[in-house]
Order: sequence, then C-alpha cells, then structure tokens
Amino acid sequence: MVILDHIQKIFHQDTPNENQALNNLSLKIEDGDFITVIGSNGAGKSTMLNAMAGVFPINKGKIVLDGKDITNLAEHKRAAFIGRVFQDPMLGTSPSMTIEENLSMAYARPRNMSLHWGLDFYRRKIFKDYLKDIPLGLENRLSTKVKLLSGGQRQSLTLIMATMKKPKLLLLDEHTAALDPKTAILVNNLTQKIVYKNKITTIMVTHNLEHAIKMGNRLIMMHKGNIVMDIKGEEKSTMTIPRLLNKFEQLQGEKFVDDRVMLA
Amino acid sequence: MLQNLFLKSLEQGLAFGIMALGVYITFKILKFSDLTVDGSFPLGAAVAASLIVSGHSPFFATLVALFAGASAGFITGFLNTKAGISDLLSGILTMTSLYSINLRIMGRPNTPLLNQPTVYAIIDDFSKKVWPLFPSKHVYLLFFIIFALFIKVFLDAFLKTQMGFALRATGDNPQMIRSQGVNTDLAKIVGLVISNGLVALSGALVAQYQGFADVGMGVGTIVAGLASVIIGESLLGGRTVFVSTLGVLFGSFLYRFSISLVLSFRLAQASDLKLFTAIVVIIALTAPRFRQSLKLPTKGCESYGNS
Repeated sequence: MVILDHIQKIFHQDTPNENQALNNLSLKIEDGDFITVIGSNGAGKSTMLNAMAGVFPINKGKIVLDGKDITNLAEHKRAAFIGRVFQDPMLGTSPSMTIEENLSMAYARPRNMSLHWGLDFYRRKIFKDYLKDIPLGLENRLSTKVKLLSGGQRQSLTLIMATMKKPKLLLLDEHTAALDPKTAILVNNLTQKIVYKNKITTIMVTHNLEHAIKMGNRLIMMHKGNIVMDIKGEEKSTMTIPRLLNKFEQLQGEKFVDDRVMLA
Repeated sequence: MLQNLFLKSLEQGLAFGIMALGVYITFKILKFSDLTVDGSFPLGAAVAASLIVSGHSPFFATLVALFAGASAGFITGFLNTKAGISDLLSGILTMTSLYSINLRIMGRPNTPLLNQPTVYAIIDDFSKKVWPLFPSKHVYLLFFIIFALFIKVFLDAFLKTQMGFALRATGDNPQMIRSQGVNTDLAKIVGLVISNGLVALSGALVAQYQGFADVGMGVGTIVAGLASVIIGESLLGGRTVFVSTLGVLFGSFLYRFSISLVLSFRLAQASDLKLFTAIVVIIALTAPRFRQSLKLPTKGCESYGNS
C-alpha cells in the first residue's frame, strides 16, 4: 500500500516563476490497484509520479510505502521497489548497450553494482523467455544494440526491465504517448498482460481518455496540483468519455483543457 | 632503422597505452572529461621514482603509484559528485594541486633513476636465468606486450561485470541506470578511481623506462591519451568492448610511431610535438563532420570532449 500524505511541491520557490505543482495532494493506493491518471495541462500528473520516484525532494508531506516512510530516500534506492517507464522511449534504456546487457542491469536489481558477470548462459535463457512474451521477435536479437530498435520495441523492453524484478509500484508516465497508434495498442496490451499476471500495483498517466477508461480498476483526474475525481469499481467500469468530461465541468466549473488529449 | 623505430614505438605505445586505457574509461565510457590525468601521470612517476630511490622494491613502488593515482581519481570524483563542481573544473583543480604535491613527493623537479633497480632490471635478471639466450633489448618489449594485454583483458572482464555495465550505462543514460537502482555518483567515482589508477601505473612504468621522473612530464598526457582513443576507434571501430580496448592500444602505438617518424626524419623538433599532437586530435575530432559533409561513410566516431 502506498500513501501520499498531503504532499506539496513548489518549483522555483521564491522567484517570479514560482509554480505550485502539487498542492496538498493525498492519495491512498491499495495493493493491486491499477490506477489511470488523466488531467488538464499542468495538473501535476508527471510531478506526482516523479515525487513518488524520488526525482526531486518534496516541500511538504510524506510518502509511505508498505508502512515505510520513503519521503527522503534517494532515487536510486527507491528503484529497488519502484519500476518506471518514461514517455520518451530514449530514456528507459541504454542505447549503446545491447538488449541482453540492458536486461541484465534490470535483472540484477538492486544488486547491480556487484562484480558478478553481467551475462551467462543461464541469464540469456531467462531473457529469451521474457522476450518471447512480446510479439516483436526480439528474442533472436539479444546482442543487438538498443539504439537500433524502434520506439515501440524500446518501450516494450523498458516495460520488461521495469517489471522483471516485481516492483511494489510501477509508474508509467504516458509511456505510449510517443508511439504510433498501432504500436501504442501493442504496448498497452503488453502492459495489461504483465500488470495483471504479476498483480503489480500500477499508476499510469495517459492523455488517451479511452485508455484511461478501459484500462485499470480506478481512474483519477488531476487539476491544478490536486486530485479532483477518483472513480472506482462499477462507476469506473460504466464510465464513458462524455460523462467523464461532463463530470469534470460540473466539479470545476470550467472546461477540461488538454492540448494533447485524445478523446478516442 | 625503421625496424628499430617500429619496435621502440611499440614499447612506448604499450607503456603509454595503459594510460590511454584509463582515458578511455573516463572519456568514452563515463563521458566524463577528466583532466586529472595530466597530474596523475607524473604523480605515478614521482611516487615510484621516490620510493625506488629510497630503496624500496620497484614492484612495491609501482603498486603504491597505482594507489596514489586511484586516490587522485577519487578526489576528482568527490569534487564532481559531492561538491557539485563541473567535471572539467574538478579535474583541473586536482591536476593543479598535484603539481605541488608531485614536487613535494620528489623534493625537487626531477628524480633520475639511472643505476637504480627498476622493474625492468629485475625482469631482465630473471629472464637471463630462465632463458640465457633471450636478447636483453627485447625484454622491455616482451614485458610491455604481456603487461598491457593483461591490463586490457582485465579491463574487458571488468566491463562485462554487473558493475562494468553500470559504469557504461552511467555514461550512456544516467536517468535510466538511476531508475534501475544504481547510484550514478558512486559509479562515476569508481570509474575515475580505476582510470587514474591506470594512468599513474603507466606513469610509474614510463618513468622507469625512460630513467627519470620529471614534474613536467604530465603536460599533454590527456591529449595524447585522447589521440590514442580516437585513432583506435576510427581505425578499428567500437562495436564491442574487446575491439575498443584493442583499438586504444593500437592507437597509442600508431601515435608514438608517427611521432617517432616525424622526429627521425627531422620534420620537426621535439619541442613542436605538443602542437602536432593537438593538431592531430583536432583533425581526428573534426574528421567525422567533414566526412559527413562529403557524404563519405563514417565509422562510428561520435563527438568527444563536449559532454
């Protein structure tokens, strides 16, 4: 269980550019939750994910994971139990290293500064089995450098790397936004397959309202650094896009504005 | 004469090649522009020479030199990661302070090692016992070939371990490797420690090879190292770690060989060498761009020194 307790994040504090990205945000994430996150421009969706991952310190509040306060834990230490996939397919993998070398770093987590050989027969076999799960034919290209892969292939690889050692929390920050629609579907299917099979607690930010409604068991909508809507259970499974937008307008008294939002 | 020139360059190329392997770790793997090298190379020489002159075993002296270089690397890494000083400046700071430290270690600007028991003298004696007919003048060469290849294989093996992967990823995509749970600060420090350890080791061997340690012998080390790395990569390419490190040693040899050629044909005088080296590096760095604009095939030589 993850608890965000009244967290606040202010960028450029005490300057004219001061920006309150997270405003007393509280959220309780149950084990096995698959939460989709939508929100208008600058709502703080990515900031919330980055705060959980420890990319920057937060100004106020507490982050608790399974009863352990991780508010001040360094980013690389949180990585032991938090898996991440980024929007930019370039960010999740090491481009000039091979597929198997990248997988090896994820496999060794969190003891990946040891002097153990990075690759051996046994590990290669495991990696092949993992790659067989995705219909991209990567299992026969283990020694290909990742920079030669397409965006979709990289995101799939990053997803496998993020979930290889089952994380307590998986953070997906618009991980299909940079992909073409067909590849996005493939990566989304892979996401659902991995998440449900391993019962990984997941938070997925998306701009695609349809994905947000169809995927996961819970949907939250963010606005101006806070959560304005939290839909679960039956309400979530019967939700439609027009009703969602309507509800937002009722709650906030303004229209849902997102340059990149995809309604279908 | 040319054969002699060739063999001498091979000796030197391999001796300096160990230094170039150190430069390869920082510049190519960590993408860290480390100028400590100009200080840690003479540091290795100074430490080894002083210890040998004061009667210690040359092997012990060389080993201590290696650790001295490693600690210089640690200081640069600490300045960069913990004190937040940029990579260039933290290297320059360590390099500058090492100049004074080297003078302190030797107590004077240079230490001659003539008639002192160096590692080569000991190996020479040993080889005479094992194989009396082996020509003495090739002992250096044999030693350098074995030793430099040993270091190369050791480095290759290290870069294939989990820690080696972490170092390579730190230079390639720090964001990614942090999200995989690696402390990139630690990875940088480890890389700098190993790199400068190798550079100082090379300095210690070169001092014993040329028969003296001099406080000014480090000037331009980084440029020579970089030249070796670049020449190696543009000739052999960098598909795998094995090929890259081999390329570094080969590049170091070619670099020394071309210098010897220029000098022996009296195309330049010794004092012009640093200028030539700098020009060679500039050409090597800009060649890919020219090749690109001429639409000629390039061999994987990306940008250097501007990370």
